[in-house]
Amino acid sequence: MTTDVDVLIIGAGASGAAFAWSLAETRMRILCLEQGDWVNPADYPSTRRDWEVRMEREFSPNPNVRRRPEDYPINDADSPISVVNFNGVGGSTILYAAHFPRPHPSDFRVRSLDGVAEDWPIDYAGLEPYYALNDRMMGVAGLAGDPAYPPHEPPLPPVPIGLAGETMARGFNALGWHWWPSDIAIATRDYEGRAACVNLGPCKSGCAQGAKSSTDITYWPLARRAGVQLRTRCRVREILADDKDMATGVVYYDERGVEQVQRAEVVVLACNGVGTPRLLLNSRSARFPDGLANRSGLVGRNLMIHPWGVVRGAFDAPLDSQLGPMSCCILSQQFYETDRSRGFVRGYNMQVIRGFGPVATARMGAARGDIPWGEGHHEAFARRYGRSINVGICCEDLPEESNTVTLDPALTDSNGIPAPKITYRLSENSERMLRHGLARGTEVMKAAGAWDVYSEGPVRQTGWHLLGTARMGEDPERSVVNAWGRSHDVKNLFIIDGSVFVTSAGVNPTPTIQAVALYVADAMKQRLANLFD
Amino acid sequence: MSTDRIDIAASGQPLTPVQRVNLDIVLDMIVPPSADGRMPGAAEVGVPAYLLAEAPDALPPLCRELEELERRSHERFARGFAELPQRERKSLIEAMRAQEPSFMSRLAMETLACYYQHDRVLGGLGLEARPPYPKGYQVLPGDLSLLEPVRARGKIYRDAP
Repeated sequence: MTTDVDVLIIGAGASGAAFAWSLAETRMRILCLEQGDWVNPADYPSTRRDWEVRMEREFSPNPNVRRRPEDYPINDADSPISVVNFNGVGGSTILYAAHFPRPHPSDFRVRSLDGVAEDWPIDYAGLEPYYALNDRMMGVAGLAGDPAYPPHEPPLPPVPIGLAGETMARGFNALGWHWWPSDIAIATRDYEGRAACVNLGPCKSGCAQGAKSSTDITYWPLARRAGVQLRTRCRVREILADDKDMATGVVYYDERGVEQVQRAEVVVLACNGVGTPRLLLNSRSARFPDGLANRSGLVGRNLMIHPWGVVRGAFDAPLDSQLGPMSCCILSQQFYETDRSRGFVRGYNMQVIRGFGPVATARMGAARGDIPWGEGHHEAFARRYGRSINVGICCEDLPEESNTVTLDPALTDSNGIPAPKITYRLSENSERMLRHGLARGTEVMKAAGAWDVYSEGPVRQTGWHLLGTARMGEDPERSVVNAWGRSHDVKNLFIIDGSVFVTSAGVNPTPTIQAVALYVADAMKQRLANLFD
Repeated sequence: MSTDRIDIAASGQPLTPVQRVNLDIVLDMIVPPSADGRMPGAAEVGVPAYLLAEAPDALPPLCRELEELERRSHERFARGFAELPQRERKSLIEAMRAQEPSFMSRLAMETLACYYQHDRVLGGLGLEARPPYPKGYQVLPGDLSLLEPVRARGKIYRDAP
């Protein structure tokens, strides 16, 4: 038996870190259990010559490829999109692109405005102070004045858009479409003890410079200094509850694989939209035969994952497109808000992504037949390397109860805990939206001057955004947690990760995940005297 | 990455002398030397050593593919693969890949990974042979005055109730 704590957080990623830092000021005994370990920046691929290969192996975003001891397998055979993540201090912020767009105010009112899905019980205005706080804490670069958003001012100047961004900007301008330098969680100048970005490039395999804002180097040092305890290589198997429907703690495996029980007054789940339902569904008892906090039957349902398309263009002029933060450049929200004349509701974000390194350029070209074997190989490579630009199409998918995270009946992790199984289909609305986005992406590539354009979607290895599987709401029969993250069924159990999203918006969710975590922490601090009433 | 050539036979995945010769031929068919001499052929960049170090699981199927290549060469041309003119080598491999698209595809992908990390290749491309960190790269800021028409069109988000 370990020492009891007041608050036990499960997961040290985007939300767990922000929440821990915020709650630390209460001086409660706060412990975070993380199944992964600290990552040494010196191990990131960009420190080595073979960085392109290593980012596909031990730093692959797919846990089924990466297969580190701390990873759990994910059965994604019944989904066109694979779940990608990272398990360690910092969670998936270790490998994320750091593309940091906020949602729009309309994203929280989809029922009221568009007649689909459900409204969130909170809104953009209510979250705005937490977005701003999080921007400062993480260190977000961008350019104020974007007409696609209510006014906000990123604390750091934007990343260089380079010739590639400028080329695409001219394409968007030629069509009269919106574009803007992306909000990006990268320190573009020295910031809070972190060195400025030097354009290493492969942000999605970790930032050796420490310029990319992963929570191991933003929130966690401050949270630990404030007294939060972080215990790594501790994998939680289940949450315990008593006969009064109160969580009492967790059972976990420590770094030696020894089973331990950790008691806590409050349990906070921060394991992402797959890990959180997995843990709840694996926490069955007589009072919760279908999984803890699951009397609504909605734990693991309504999985949203953002179907992703990519449009790739090759240009005649050398653009040095392989240089710069890989996935962050400019965005377009021309097709973000609902326009039913397009044949679908809701919309998508267009994210301009830079070109790839030489290995990826050659391999992708060979796989498509653009870069042949033998004669013509060098010429074909030269026509694409440093001259290719990508546009990602990030589609908002709406909640559907048939898209689920369940427990796999056979597959387990190294501790014998059932692995998650993903069942996911694109809706007709998502299919139409994706096709529209690929067509518009092709259009802007041509407007920008590309001599060759290729598009595909949904792209399989893109399931970064894991949302909706324990959603928030006022009605206990239609939601898992209330408007401030507390379980309807278990009044000392909170969820603060992307599981609580009611709808997915059409943008990368990390700013919203962290804003919600900070908002829940504040809600708890305001109610400490009667938190469980 | 500089990788010395080593004898793949020492790996426990022995290639016959004929297969080793054929492997070099195939490698240069995947990426030939450039006519101007700036870029080496793939047979010159240590692919066997790379396979041993980075993709040992690719070796057993590679052995089988090389065996099959030689067998089909004798079957179709009554000569070993190495003895064929380049045109017939190309024709044979294309026919085998048309019949089985995965034929030699793993070798090709690993070869490209090895090739495009090699010092000589990066030098030929005009790139520095170094990891991105710590030096990084310079990226032009880009012309943000291009935003003027976007600003001029004004607000595009919806207000929400």
